[in-house]
Amino acid sequence: AKHTEQHEGRLYNIPLEEVKAVFPHGLPQRFQQQIRTFNEARVMVRKPALELLAYLKGSNLAHPAVRYVIYGERGTGKTMTLCHVVHYCSRQGWLVLHIPDAHLWVKNCKELLQSSYKKGRLDQPLQASVWLKNFKASNERFLQEIKTQKKYIWGKHESTEEGRPLGEVVEQGLARVRSASDAVGVVLRELKLQSHRGSFRLLAAVDGVNALWGRTTLSKEDKSPVSPEELTLVHNLRKLVRNDWSGGAIVTTLSQTGSLFKPSSAYTPQELLGKEGFDALDPFVPIPVANYSPREFESCYGYYLERKWLQHEKAHTEDGKAELQFLSGSNPRQLDRLAGPL
Amino acid sequence: MAAPSATGLCQRLRAWLPRIMPVRWSRYNPSYLEPEVNKELYQKPLEELTEEEREQMELKAVRPIKAAPPTLSSSVFSDPMISKFTNMMMKNGNKVLARSLMSQTLEAIKRKQLEKYHKAPENEKETIECNPYIIFHQALKNCQPIIGLSNITRGGKTYQVPVPLTDNRKRFLAMKWLITECRENKHRRMMLPEKLSQELLLAFNNEGPVIKKKHVLHKMAEANRAYAHFRWW
Repeated sequence: AKHTEQHEGRLYNIPLEEVKAVFPHGLPQRFQQQIRTFNEARVMVRKPALELLAYLKGSNLAHPAVRYVIYGERGTGKTMTLCHVVHYCSRQGWLVLHIPDAHLWVKNCKELLQSSYKKGRLDQPLQASVWLKNFKASNERFLQEIKTQKKYIWGKHESTEEGRPLGEVVEQGLARVRSASDAVGVVLRELKLQSHRGSFRLLAAVDGVNALWGRTTLSKEDKSPVSPEELTLVHNLRKLVRNDWSGGAIVTTLSQTGSLFKPSSAYTPQELLGKEGFDALDPFVPIPVANYSPREFESCYGYYLERKWLQHEKAHTEDGKAELQFLSGSNPRQLDRLAGPL
Repeated sequence: MAAPSATGLCQRLRAWLPRIMPVRWSRYNPSYLEPEVNKELYQKPLEELTEEEREQMELKAVRPIKAAPPTLSSSVFSDPMISKFTNMMMKNGNKVLARSLMSQTLEAIKRKQLEKYHKAPENEKETIECNPYIIFHQALKNCQPIIGLSNITRGGKTYQVPVPLTDNRKRFLAMKWLITECRENKHRRMMLPEKLSQELLLAFNNEGPVIKKKHVLHKMAEANRAYAHFRWW
């Protein structure tokens, strides 16, 4: 992962075993289909990712965690940039807390439980258990090394003593699905408190961070709407994203496609986060992601040709290439959708 | 030489209005010309044009042009058979949905064939066809019946008489059979593009229910050979 500016526009290969280990959740759907068809995962190196990697390399761990917000129009490659950074960090040995899409936690939840820990908060056992499973799959070795610092009581008979490895907390969350959201909260808290010691570096990667401060589509049993603070998962995530801890970085992505009650033309942080979110995330480093430059477009086109993805005879000609560039407007998602049937 | 006659024609024809003003047909004033989609024609320099083409260009400067129908496109990727098929798949005029289903079908065919291609050993790699358009055209050709049956009434009784089919009728029957087969004989939760891609791949290899239907039709025609003289065209 030693990418410099000379490598801009080229595609680099991730071995398939690493893909399964590092990204159990988190890659976009179309990209996963592409991996299955081509039998390899190829990510393009682009300017925003290179910028982020440079910042991460030069970041001082004693300072509080810096917040980076990746924003851009629809389909320009924000999630892919995030995945690139996550892969780099996992290669370097950081502990990666990757939340694939925060929007999944504020909509379409079938089960909402009243939290036993604090009155007035709502738990989401399903989403929490799914996330814990994936977290376990990606960060096995850290779970044995990190120890808890406080005694946690889960119920009448279950409790976790001080000094037990974090793996036990995760097991507890997976076994007792009712307390899974509390387990998630414990994990986040422990990691935050211990990251400044320096034994490991923490990367908090959240996709779709604007879900934490908007509205939700969920409602309580008496049909009153739920605001995001009342959800345990969202509450703990907000505490994580506040930069009162040191020893790592927070990389987030704004996303309009999953967002609730926001117009489809909104893409700037101001519009998508709202006043609350913007104030909460205030000192952050914005990283804009744009459409493909001509060089990147040609490299993508060449990759499709080489992999026999563009099968139409006319697609190999200059006219076809010009037409693809015009129709997609150099937008990566549109190009992918157009090149599908061709 | 063309100019005075054109203006004279326009003067007389502009005042011509059809008796009924149709809302949906294309009943244009005869002075309207067809739209020209071929890009190469416009890129040719003036000297290479023949006499008729030069006259046509001059006429275009003066006469109005009809609106282009939605099926006509100047894209290099457009295919008349595919657009016909998409129109037949369309329901209630929802062309957007039909087109997206068609593109998903082509993509599904391509993915299946590419997966097979990458897993196959070296010597078999050349026999696997990955181009979804070639597969589509070949499958349609394989589904087209050669001879059809038509009902002819003689002396009170209706007979199924074997009859030759025109090209258009063959293409229509092949497409119709494919679409009805995909809409009816599938699992409730299976998507149409997936089922269509399966059917097209089977038809490409001369297997599958549509090919069977074609063979059944041929057998019926063969069985009713005796009545072939009832045909008078």
